[in-house]
Formats: sequence, structure tokens, C-alpha cells
Amino acid sequence: MTGMISNGFSHWLTAAPDAHKQLFELELPTTKAEAWRYTSLKSLLEQNFTPAEDAANAIQSDDLNKILIPDLMSHRVVLINGRYVPELSALGDLPTGAQIGSLRAALASHSEMVRSQFNQYAFNSLFTALNTAGLNDGVAVLLNRAVVLKNPIELIHISIGANQPQVAQPRHLIVLGDGARATLIERYLSLDAAIYCTNAVIEIALGRDAVFRHERLQMESENAFHLTGLSLKQNANSHYLGVNIGLGARWSRTELVTNFAGEHAECDLQGLYLAGDGQLMDYHLDVTHAVPNCTSRENFRGILCGKGRAVFDGRVLVAKNAQKSDAAMSNNNLMLSEGAEVDTKPQLEINADDVKCSHGTTVGQIEPEKLFYLRSRGISAPLARRMLCLGFAGEIIHMLHEEVLRDYVAEHVGQRLEFSATGLS
Amino acid sequence: MLVVNGLRANVGEKEILKGLNFTVAAGEIHAIMGPNGSGKSTLAHVLSGREGYTVTAGTATFNGQNLLTLEPEQRAQLGLFLAFQYPVELPGVNNTYFLKAALNSIRKSRGEAELDAVSFLRLIKEKLKILHLDDSLLKRAVNAGFSGGEKKRNEIFQMALLEPKLAILDETDSGLDIDALRVVADGVNALRSSERSMIVVTHYQRLLDYIQPDYVHVLAKGQIIRSGGKELALELEEKGYGWIDAEGQAA
Amino acid sequence: MTSTSAVDEIVKSEYEHGFTTEIVSDTFPPGLNEDVVRAISARKGEPTFMTEWRLKAYRHWLTMTEPEWAAVHYPKIDFQSISYFSAPKRSEDAPKSLDEIDPILLETYQKLGIPLEEQKVLAGIAVDAVFDSVSVATTFRKSLAEAGVIFCSISEAVHDYSDLIKQHLGSVVPHTDNYYACLNAAVFSDGTFVYVPKGVRCPMELSTYFRINARNTGQFERTLIIAEEGAYVSYLEGCTAPQRDENQLHAAVVELIVMADAEIKYSTVQNWYPGDAQGKGGIYNFVTKRGDCRGDRAKISWTQVETGSAITWKYPSCLLRGEGAIGEFYSVAVTKGCQQADTGTKMIHIGKNTRSTIVSKGISAGKGQQTYRGLVRIGQRAEGARNHTQCDSLLIGDQCSANTVPYIEVKHPSANMEHEATTSKISDDQLFYCRSRGLTEEDAVSMIVNGFCKEVFNELPMEFAVEAQKLLSISLEGAVG
Repeated sequence: MTGMISNGFSHWLTAAPDAHKQLFELELPTTKAEAWRYTSLKSLLEQNFTPAEDAANAIQSDDLNKILIPDLMSHRVVLINGRYVPELSALGDLPTGAQIGSLRAALASHSEMVRSQFNQYAFNSLFTALNTAGLNDGVAVLLNRAVVLKNPIELIHISIGANQPQVAQPRHLIVLGDGARATLIERYLSLDAAIYCTNAVIEIALGRDAVFRHERLQMESENAFHLTGLSLKQNANSHYLGVNIGLGARWSRTELVTNFAGEHAECDLQGLYLAGDGQLMDYHLDVTHAVPNCTSRENFRGILCGKGRAVFDGRVLVAKNAQKSDAAMSNNNLMLSEGAEVDTKPQLEINADDVKCSHGTTVGQIEPEKLFYLRSRGISAPLARRMLCLGFAGEIIHMLHEEVLRDYVAEHVGQRLEFSATGLS
Repeated sequence: MLVVNGLRANVGEKEILKGLNFTVAAGEIHAIMGPNGSGKSTLAHVLSGREGYTVTAGTATFNGQNLLTLEPEQRAQLGLFLAFQYPVELPGVNNTYFLKAALNSIRKSRGEAELDAVSFLRLIKEKLKILHLDDSLLKRAVNAGFSGGEKKRNEIFQMALLEPKLAILDETDSGLDIDALRVVADGVNALRSSERSMIVVTHYQRLLDYIQPDYVHVLAKGQIIRSGGKELALELEEKGYGWIDAEGQAA
Repeated sequence: MTSTSAVDEIVKSEYEHGFTTEIVSDTFPPGLNEDVVRAISARKGEPTFMTEWRLKAYRHWLTMTEPEWAAVHYPKIDFQSISYFSAPKRSEDAPKSLDEIDPILLETYQKLGIPLEEQKVLAGIAVDAVFDSVSVATTFRKSLAEAGVIFCSISEAVHDYSDLIKQHLGSVVPHTDNYYACLNAAVFSDGTFVYVPKGVRCPMELSTYFRINARNTGQFERTLIIAEEGAYVSYLEGCTAPQRDENQLHAAVVELIVMADAEIKYSTVQNWYPGDAQGKGGIYNFVTKRGDCRGDRAKISWTQVETGSAITWKYPSCLLRGEGAIGEFYSVAVTKGCQQADTGTKMIHIGKNTRSTIVSKGISAGKGQQTYRGLVRIGQRAEGARNHTQCDSLLIGDQCSANTVPYIEVKHPSANMEHEATTSKISDDQLFYCRSRGLTEEDAVSMIVNGFCKEVFNELPMEFAVEAQKLLSISLEGAVG
């Protein structure tokens, strides 16, 4: 067996290959595997990614200012190529019992809490395993019982390219104690057009009554590859709201895996993706109602233009005895051009009878009546189309908490739609 | 202002308008009445440029310009306005944003400067009052979740804002109770002027009690079979459309 | 709790059609190899092209593996323990009229309510009944012949209409399609052949009842229906099976070919033995059904009511090639006791302005497991394609399960696709409301379930709709105490 290199990803790691022998014996997913039915790893495998270099000094605070969203008050953490950069971060005042910092440092400090929680929630996959094996840095957010953060935490992931394609594998651990409340904004972006890959793994554990709002903006460059594996464990009465905005990267895959560990918890996953020419946007949602009385919502909207492609694979599993589960999933797509493609697979697996579960999916175009209405008011056809697309996207953008962020995203979506004008005409 | 001459139009293979002739001068209000299926709404749609209709013969000129070759937005920019029978819901599209885009595109086409946010807001609040509409309307999505009455009032509100030269009101009275009808009619009357013409398309005479027309045309089976003053509407009210059908067959 | 006892009752309800007919069978010993394939072909006196066709399929089958992706579980099938041919004794000398039919058989059909009698014929039904593997009765072929419609067993068609068979057999479901379809191609026993010529509207509804009988006999029916340009035919298929201990494999193939402006309406009521309360016995129903809309405006409508079998694995599908072609799938599936069903459809939109409708109603009770699995694919050239899918599951009791696995693939920007799915149960409020109006709980459940399925029953021909409702009531009998 050429186990060591069998799955084609050995160069992602620097450490002695022997240490990862097991990892490389993990099977490479092909399109025959159900979860990869519509997504080929070919283009990812074609790149000879090596671990990203430390480029902490490549950015000065002036450069950073161009990236920051004006008027967004936050506890800011900047990561460059997956590494925590204290010089550019601005954590500000944190209440007692709140800890935000480098995951590497937290692990090294032998914090019992971090050690006991790390890698406890992440779901099994080749890319999680690669992230764990190549663990370099990331962020640990630990909030003690009843700690409430007023301002959002902002994680800015910046990729800086090199001559060679590089892979950064940030890892985040977020643990909220009982009754704690916080908002996390994650942004993924790059400063150049280099080919690189982000393979992020995020583990989140919410205590009883905890409330966590998680807004994610994937705005990587057009040559980037992006993978996110997010695992969420929710205790009783906790509330998670995730808003996933996907605009960038040529190839991206986001997996969101939720488990309810206590009753009366709520999980709300919202998403907006815009796949333009040459882009693939791939989303996998896996929500397990293992206990009774929990609520889940999945609402993803997509706009496809150029030769853009999107995949939505959502699954809600209601276990035996998880009575009074309430789950609603929807996926709506707007197809704007020839050559675009969407593959969607909203699944329900129901093993209890007293449940309320539904899903709905649509694929359609801008409705001619709406277009005519706008044009009859003097609005040009291209602008009318843009307005309607933004209206369609707006229902998700409105889920973002901060107005400045909503405007920022709407602006970028609008630009992207303009950019795809050929597909819109 | 509007000259319609020998206008014929099809939906698919079927001829709906079978040669219409009428002229609307500045400041005039024309009512177009007729039974269901007579082609009233088709006329409104053909004039405003909705897809799905084929004009097979005839002309329609607006201030000397051929209307029929223009895009819907170009017609609007020239000063044509259609108040929809069924206003379309646009979820996610904010009303203020929508109104501003519409007004500025019309102003731009006329070589006027775009309104800044402050003057726009001032203007819009002024117009809201005419229709007894609440400020909260501005924060909502266009027509989304509006009641039938709110939608119709919103149409007239848009008309007040866009100040068209010719407004076509397509069954604006349908689905309105008497109070809502009065509010809408008051709004329309407030917009009457010697430069503004209107075509009021309606099935019932009721609306014409509130909006007094200068001329009434009776449309049946795609043709104007009678034209006259406002007394014609009263005659219709009395006799119903039965005699018209008979007359239409005889014609 | 009454509703709990209701559920227990469903599980207990006996299989109504569970009786065995005593008749002497002429059956091959179990086992499968090339000689068996040749022997089947020889017994049926088939021409060489057919023998070769079967052998080619058999050789390909040896290279295939059993599919495992469906959400069904059963012990591995030993294909060598199955007998691949069984014929009623007098098959050599096929009956010319009802008088010649074995009286025991007639009695069997009467018990099943099969309309062989004159009165039923007046109702417009011609019957080609399959007893085990060979057709034994065909009625009113004459009046069909006058209309130019061919309605016979596929064995006869192989002899009498070999050109049509050569041209069309396997053209919709090739032997390479899947494991069971391939096995069927090698060993198919008998089945039905229908040919409706250009412009002909078939004067009556065609109906075939299948009945699995002899022990250890796999049933491998093969059906081929061809509707030429502008033709119309409605075909009804119904099945019941006698109670028995061992699992029986049933791997049928149905191929429909529809030319321009033609329509085939294919209705199925499937009520084979589902196994006992412990899940012992019962039919394995692994079916490949597919229709090919080859011409413009061609239409295929599949309607199925599936209440029987231990395991059901079937996806009646439509290839919508012609411009404006229409595909429909209406399904009611009931799983109770230990039944498992993985069923749905595939709508492949290839031509412009093609339309498809999917309405699937799944009812799970007891320990029943059910999966709707469907594919809607709108191809790159399918401009203006439309699909509407409605998938509803009704759960009765907390031991059952209902899965929905739709695959939706859209590659044209003018496509419109809508998919909705819901899961619900019969609420205590609904039951109480009905009972407070004087209905028994049993009637209330039956009424609510029939209401849930109404959209599908509406698509069945009148006679079948009545039977289907009855079947559903029997299936859920005692759903209430």
C-alpha cells in the first residue's frame, strides 16, 4: 500500500509523514461517495499546495485599514495565513471570564479547559484530519458562565500568497459557558490573486441557555480554494444563529454539522451564495435532532450567473424519540445565465412521528411580472434585474446584525452582479 | 397627447384588440368601460409595453412619438404611468430604494439632476400625505404583504411622486371598499391638472362617481362600440352590458 | 390510548389475499448458469436472436454487483437457490377460451376479484392474467385486434412480432442498466406486450393481474408497451400473492415507448405478501420501470399504489426527450409491520418545454420504513422545462420512519423547479373532531388517510380507484381499536 500518499494530500503537511500514516490511509473521496456526488476534488488535487508561510510582517496597519469595515466596533483578531497576529489584532476591553487568543498559545499553556475541549466536537472527515494533523494556529474563544460580550468578535483571515500554491489550516475552538452570549464575525479575504487554499475547522460548544450569533463572510480571491468544516454542539435552551455569505473563491466547500445535546435548543442556519463564472459553491448541512423539542431552520439562497455552479446538500435527521422536533429547510436558487448549474438535495430522515418537518426547494428566474413592474416605473432593465437580485439576496443579508455589515455585503453583492452583467442581460 | 389609430393586438394566436381609434388631449380624462374579456386590460398593457402581446396593425403615438417600439422604461421616462390592477409584490426590494431609483431614472432621462437623499425624503413625505399613507411604508418591501387597499393606494402614491403626463388606471377600483375607493379617488383628483391626462379603465360606473371623466368609451369584443360624455357611463349603469353585447354582435 | 391500539392493530391485520392455490407446476430445479438460460429460451421455443440476447445479458450480469445504496435491509439473496422457470401444467396447449382454463385458477382469480367474467368485460376490461411465469388467459383480443391493438404475452410477441421485439426490447432499459434489470433480461419468464398503432385510441383499459405462486420461483416479468404517434392506451397492473414462508424475489422490467402526441397511462396496485408480523417471508420487489417520451408532446403518466411486499425498490421514470413531452408520477406507498420501501421516480428533462409533476404520498405505520428517492434533472437543452414536486409523509406511531431524498439537478437558466416536502401525523385533534361527529376511530383514520392520498387516487381509472381505496382501508384496518 502506498498509504502515505494514497489520498494525494501529503504535501499539505510539514511534519514527518510517518506521524500521519493513518491520515493518508483515509480514503480520498470521489464523486461516487454520496457527500461528494456533485463535487470533484480534481482541481484541488491539481495544485501542489504546501503549508503556508508565516507572513505576519507582510502587512502593516495601513494596509489593514483598507480592509477594515468603517464603524464596525469589534474585538478584532487578525490571522494571516492561519496564524494569529497580535500586532494587528485589537481585542479591546474584555469582561472578566472572557478569553480570546491564539489557540496554539492556549494549548501550550496547558489550559485544562482548552485541552479537554479541543477536537471533541469536530466531525470526521479527511479535511478535518488534515487540519488536525497540520495544526498550526487559530483562535480560542472561551466565555465563562453568564459572560456577555456586547460587541462582536471579528476574525479577519487574510491570505498572502507566495510563488507556490499554499494551504493555510486555521483551527478555532469556541466554547460558551451556560448563559453566555456573543457574536462572532468571520471574514475570509486575500490581498493578492495568488493560488492558495484555506482549510478551516471550527468547533463550537454552547452551554445551556447560551446565545451565539455567527456571521461568516467568505470573500476569498478568485483563485482561492476554500474549505470550512464547522461542528456545533448545543446544550439545552441554547440558540445558534449562523449567517453564511459565500461570494469568493473559485472552489469552495462548507460543511455545517449540528448536534443537539439538550432539549429546547434552536439552530438557525442562513446562507447566501453567489456563484459566478468558473466558481463552485458547495454547501453541506447536517442537522441531527437527537433529543426532543429542538428547533432547526435552514434557509439558503443562491444566485448563479456565468458558468457558476452551486451544490446544496442539506440533511435533517430526527432520531427515534426526538418527538416535537421542528425542522424547516429551504433552498431557493435564481439562475441567471446559460451554462450555470445547480444541484440540490434537501433530505429529511424522520424516525419519530410527532414532528413538524418540511423542506422546500426552488430553482427559477427573475419573474417577468416583477421586471415589468419596475420597468413601467422608468427603471432600466439592467438596474431592475440588479434590484430584484439584491431583493432576493436581501432576505439573507438582513439577517446580519450590524447595519454597516449589511451595507458592506449588499455593496459587494451588487458589484458582483454588475460584474456578471453579461449573464444578467 | 395620445393618438391611437387602428390598433390591433394579439395574445398568442388570438386577436384581442380589433382596431381601436381614440385620441386623448392634454388635461382630459377618458374612461374606458366594458365587460370582462372586452380587451380593457390588454389595451392598458399594450400601451405600457408589457410582454406577451403582439401588435398586428395600427399605431399609438405619444406626443408625436411612436410608443409601440419603446421599452417599458422608455415609455415611463416619457411620462406614461400604469397603475396596475394587480400590483406586483417585490419581497426584499425596499420601497424607498425603489422609488428613488424610479424617480431618478426618469429625471435623468429628462436631463434633470438626480435628487439627493434629503430632498427626496422631503418630497416623498409630502406625497405620502396626499394618500393618507404612513411613513412605515418606506421601510417595507414594495407591495410585499400589503392589503389590497394598501396596494392600490401605493400605486396612486407612486403616480403622485413620478408626476406622469398620462396615467392609465387599470381597474384601480377593483377589490376596494367604499372608503378605500374614496381615498384613492381623492388622490387621483388631487393630481388632475391641465397638463395631465388620464385613462381610467373600469368595469363599473362606481369609480366615475368620484373621478369624473370628460369622455367615456365602451369597449366590447376588442372594439370601441360607443363613445360619449360622462352620461354614457350612467346609461351603462342602468342597462348593464347586455344591450352592448347585442349591439356589438350587430355591428 | 386508542391511537396506540390502533397502531397495534395495523401490525396485526392479516393478509387478506393470503391463500395458496394447489396446482401442479412444471418447475426447474434451483440454480442459474448459461445452461439454465438456454433451457428457459428453449422451453419457450424462442428464436436464436432471443437466446443470444439472454446470454449476453447473463454474461454481463456476472460482472455486476448487487446495489447497496437503497435504504433497505435484507439478508443476502442466494441467486443459486432460486428456480428460474415454472409453468402451469397445460402451458404447452394454451387455452382458447375461459372454458379451457383450469377451474382452480378461475377460482383463484375470483377470490382476488379479477374481472374475467363477461360482466367485467362489459366494463371495458380485457385481462391478460399471469399465473406464475406463463400467460394462461387472454380475453377479448379479438376486439382489440379490430382496432389494430396488439395485446399478448411477451412470449407470443417474440414469435409473432419478432421485428417489433428486436427493435424495441431493451431499448429503454438496456440489460446493462442495473443488476436486477440485467438478471431479468437473462431469465425473464413472461409478461405483457402491447402495441398501439399510429392514431389509435385503445378501445378499452388493458389489465394484467400477476400472481406469484409456486415455491422458490423468482418472477421475472417483462413488459413492453409501444404507443405510436397519436396513440393512447391506459394499462392497469395489479398484484397479490399467496401467503408463504420464504422470501420471494421479484425483479420485473417495464419499458414504455411513446411517440409524438401519444400517451401511455400506467397504473399499478401492488399488494403482494408483505411478510408476517415479525417480518418473516414476504416478497422482495425490485422493479425497473421506465418510459421514453421519444416524440414531441408525448406523455407518460405513472400512478402507483404500493401496499404490499416486504421490500420495494422501484423508481418508475420518464425520459422526456420530445419537445413539450410530459411526465407524471403519482404514488401512494404504505409500509407497516416490518415493510421497507425505497421508491420514487426520475424525471429526465432533455427536450424543450418538457414538464413533469411528482406527487408522492408515503404512509408509515408500525415498524415500517419508507424512503422517497427522486431525481429531477433539467438538462442543458431543456429550455423552458418545468417541474413541480410534492412529497408528503404521514407517520402513524413512533416506531416507523420516513425519509425524503430528492436529487435536483438544473442546468438550464429558463427552468422552473419547485419541490416541497412535509412530514406529519394524524393529530389527536383531527381524530377527536371526527369522533365527536360520531365516526368510529377506524373510520376516522381511514377517512383522513384517504384524504391524504386523494390527489393520487384521482389519477387512477375509476375501477382501480375504488379498489385502491379498499386496499388502503384493509391495509390500515384496525388502525384503530
